[in-house]
Amino acid sequence: MKKKLYDKDLMTADERLDKVIRCEKPDRVPVSMMIYYYAPYHTGTSMGEYLRSPEIYKQVMHRVYNDLGPWDIYYNINPYSRLVYTFVMMMRSLWPGVDLPLDDVVQTEEIEYMKTEDYDKILNDTSWGAKYWGDFTFRLKMLSRFSLDVEGYSLPRLSLKVLTGLLSQTVFWRSDFKWWEKQGLVVQIGYQAEMPFDTFSQGRNVINFSKDLFNIPDKIGRAATKLADGYATASILTAKLMGVPRVQLYLHRTSNSFISPRHFENLAFPSMEIIINRLIDAGITPILHCDGDWLKNLKIMRRLPAKKCILQLDGMTDIFRAKEEIGDHMCIFGDVSASRLVMGSTQEVDEYCHRLIEEVGKGGGFILAGGCEIPANSRPENLKTLINSVYKYGYY
Amino acid sequence: MVNDKDAFDSFQEKFFSFHLDTITKEAERLLDSGCSPQDFLRACQQCMEEVGKKFEAGDYYLPELVMAGEIFKQVSSMIRPLLKFGDGQRNMGTIVVGTPKGDIHALGKDIFCILAEAAGFTVHNLGEDVPPDGFIDKVKTTGATILGMSALITTAYPYMAQVIELLKENGLREGVKVIIGGGATSKDLAEKIGADAQTWDGYEGIRIIQSFAGA
Repeated sequence: MKKKLYDKDLMTADERLDKVIRCEKPDRVPVSMMIYYYAPYHTGTSMGEYLRSPEIYKQVMHRVYNDLGPWDIYYNINPYSRLVYTFVMMMRSLWPGVDLPLDDVVQTEEIEYMKTEDYDKILNDTSWGAKYWGDFTFRLKMLSRFSLDVEGYSLPRLSLKVLTGLLSQTVFWRSDFKWWEKQGLVVQIGYQAEMPFDTFSQGRNVINFSKDLFNIPDKIGRAATKLADGYATASILTAKLMGVPRVQLYLHRTSNSFISPRHFENLAFPSMEIIINRLIDAGITPILHCDGDWLKNLKIMRRLPAKKCILQLDGMTDIFRAKEEIGDHMCIFGDVSASRLVMGSTQEVDEYCHRLIEEVGKGGGFILAGGCEIPANSRPENLKTLINSVYKYGYY
Repeated sequence: MVNDKDAFDSFQEKFFSFHLDTITKEAERLLDSGCSPQDFLRACQQCMEEVGKKFEAGDYYLPELVMAGEIFKQVSSMIRPLLKFGDGQRNMGTIVVGTPKGDIHALGKDIFCILAEAAGFTVHNLGEDVPPDGFIDKVKTTGATILGMSALITTAYPYMAQVIELLKENGLREGVKVIIGGGATSKDLAEKIGADAQTWDGYEGIRIIQSFAGA
């Protein structure tokens, strides 16, 4: 039996999370902290060293938890290596200590690594296993075009390197999770990756992808759908291997900040629906990491199974409207904005968290968190205020 | 005035169906029909204004903005050599834009720059990772009355604040309006660092700088 986090708690973090996923009321609102980029700044550790060494990562994160905790959910996004990071998030990333000064934050570079012919290659792939491994092989092929770590690698050599990296990640995480579970936390993610439609947008870059949306929309939608089963297979296998029945789906480029509700419905949603249904059938909770403004997509999202998904918002969607639109259907997660955590006063953070708990937390189905990642230069007292607010206001 | 209605209608039709590949031919057809470069530029700007209205009404989204921007870039590069400086072109004012030091993201800023140019502004795009002095030097040399900064990461905040402080120290703040944008920014941030406006939306940004310019 896991320990309780606060004296007034009646549930463990696991029980609390299960309740909110079902849009029900737990004993209190849970809180999750995406603290990965903030942690080294908090402890005065060089970002470059922290990213390079899993052991330093562990020490730093434990210290931050001891300083600011407790919170309910361990938001595990640390990559074992940059290659593993870029395998699941298909964008060229620049790392401190490698491409950037040692104490900088990770940045991404928008480059075109995918060509229009690649949609055809996906669609015309009739090889054995394409249904199950198509997503994996597509990622490998693209990786060799944009990753700064494997330029010029042959496919077999690249496959070996990626598989070794993924295995190391699994081994590391399984040992890492033990410490967090011992503290009473529940681990958030068993597998995570950017969705196929979003990868196309990233890989083509926004200008070329906009052209594709006008010139070859059908190919985009069909190619994303063709990769859906492979994506789901990899997610289910990895989540089971990790022992964490939740998968985080990154949707960076599917919001109305990028595409219309019509494009969302016709081109992005079909592959998303296949993936989400397969995950749910396998007993896994999809966490939809929705960057940008999603308000006009929410009506379509109601077609997904009720009380089975988590909708994570980053501060650009009006979370209070989202509660009205879909709060009875999906658990809502968010959304104290980056600017509030960096520049706001503790009073402002406290007031906003209080409002979130009262309004979005009403009736249950809510996880308090930052909007996307907690910024590296957040004020520690603001993070403490965010975390404490669930104790102060969050009991039902 | 555009004097060949059919050619203009055909150009407009291609513009709003976002046929980038055929737009150059349509533009040539329009110019061959006797349309002056000045009228042609005005016609393009009218199309861009229409795109803006549809975007604000929620009929268009980012892909339409991007495509309209690409069309505008393509056709304006054809006709700019035919125009003398100030020859019938609107000059709404001068704006200096950049991504502050510590941030290398370009996309939103670059779309905004194209839209600002289409709206008749002279745009100086300084690129990314721009040190505070870089903004100040460019404002001084161009006499810009508007300064825009875009950020996708929060570590750019102190540099944004520093740019505004430097404007004050150099006695430029009174004459320069500051707008910030990008996913990491917010209205609260604008207020805290003393910027005049903030937006996440390219066309709202254009409306704001038009209001700065008194349009």
